[in-house]
Amino acid sequence: MAEEERDPETLLPLTPAVFHILLALADRERHGYGIMQEVAMRTEGKLRMGPGTLYGSIKRMLVDGLIAESGERPDSALDDERRRYYRLTRFGGQVARAEAQRIVQLLRVAQLKNLLPGVDGIGGGI
Amino acid sequence: MNQPTTARRVSRSEQVYRACLWVYPHAFRRTYGREMLQTFRDYHRDVTRREGIVGHIRLWTIVLQDLLSTACVEQGKAWSSFLKHVLRLAPKEYALMSLLTLDVAARTDIGRTRAVNEDNVASVVPQDAKTMSEQGALFIVTDGLGGSKHGDVASELAVKTIREVYYQDTSDTISTTLRRAVEQANTEIYQSNKAKFQEKFEEALQQDAFMGTTCVVVVLKDNAVYIANVGDSLVYLIRNGQMRQIAENHSWVAEQIRMGTMTQEEAEAQGKSNLITRCLGSESTVQVYTGTEQVQDKDILVLCTDGLHTQVSENEIRTIAEQYGSEESTQRLIERANENGGVDNVTAIVVRVSLSV
Repeated sequence: MAEEERDPETLLPLTPAVFHILLALADRERHGYGIMQEVAMRTEGKLRMGPGTLYGSIKRMLVDGLIAESGERPDSALDDERRRYYRLTRFGGQVARAEAQRIVQLLRVAQLKNLLPGVDGIGGGI
Repeated sequence: MNQPTTARRVSRSEQVYRACLWVYPHAFRRTYGREMLQTFRDYHRDVTRREGIVGHIRLWTIVLQDLLSTACVEQGKAWSSFLKHVLRLAPKEYALMSLLTLDVAARTDIGRTRAVNEDNVASVVPQDAKTMSEQGALFIVTDGLGGSKHGDVASELAVKTIREVYYQDTSDTISTTLRRAVEQANTEIYQSNKAKFQEKFEEALQQDAFMGTTCVVVVLKDNAVYIANVGDSLVYLIRNGQMRQIAENHSWVAEQIRMGTMTQEEAEAQGKSNLITRCLGSESTVQVYTGTEQVQDKDILVLCTDGLHTQVSENEIRTIAEQYGSEESTQRLIERANENGGVDNVTAIVVRVSLSV
């Protein structure tokens, strides 16, 4: 079925919270606390997102079609309480890739200006 | 730290956090309050277990900062939206405080080959502004299972239960209330089956003798559409000349395609086009698909049973719904399904949305 084509670039740059939520949902669907745990783990505890930031971002991301709800079910690792899970949409994936590319370009500039000594592997020229 | 102390602190903290949530606007609190509290509880439990009183203090520092900053943002947005709303409303409309105007038509038809119409339909647009603003408008399409007995009873029971439960339960978010209403319909039908067949229920399941139904349910409230469905009754959103399915098709063929095990042609060649992978009434619990979409001015929603979407192409459904008003659209859609054979009961609801923002 044809979907309405939207340009991912129109939503850039993303706020750190939104980008981290997209990254947390990139490999699998998660509930709110699952997202918080994943973000805390990936940033080695440097980014501590409170529930207000998390759900304020989720609200906007649902409106923008970056994520979707994917039902409620219990998380066997926590307790028997039902939790609402969220998943990345196709458009959300496109926006996450576009943001990652934007950041890579910035890193390349920083590299060229010798602001990132010793960081390799970004690859390619500007 | 001993367990009772931790448990008491979680409970006290939770009470305090629950009270703090009142700083958020009503709509935000209603949609996310329960999840925020649940997330806080998880966070608090883990941090205090790991770090004790130090973690407890650190958590509250993070949570209070978060609360203050995000409550200001959400309140700002709510007020800005309210002011925009008020400034754009004519005095007469002000009393209703409704941005949403709907042109709705619902129609069901027996088709050309079936002896009984096992489809059911309900369209509820509350006349009182309070119910409309709090619960929104509700649209239901159900399709009693053709192979089973009393599909018509199951589909009618589903419509009745969903409608009643949805408007009675105002305690939670729209999505959760909607899901619960569908789950309750499943319970009602399942219990009827159990009462009827008793120890022979498994046998009845295998022989398709139980009663069951699909359902697709949509709530339109403010500028959002909330979707819940089980089975192959679907809803489409038409916007700017494009149409997309916003429910999840639980037909066997659609499941194979979604899982990537077969192409559409391969799946259709298996001769299982009529099979659905879930329905209401066959098991004590049911997995309900739920989703949310924002609606825009001039959007059109089409809810239908497979009697329509398997008989009339998506392109034709879109063209008809775009071209005609809701009443004429439903009439023409059903006519087209019947012209193409009318092999099944056919039901459609067309909702044309006007948002005065």
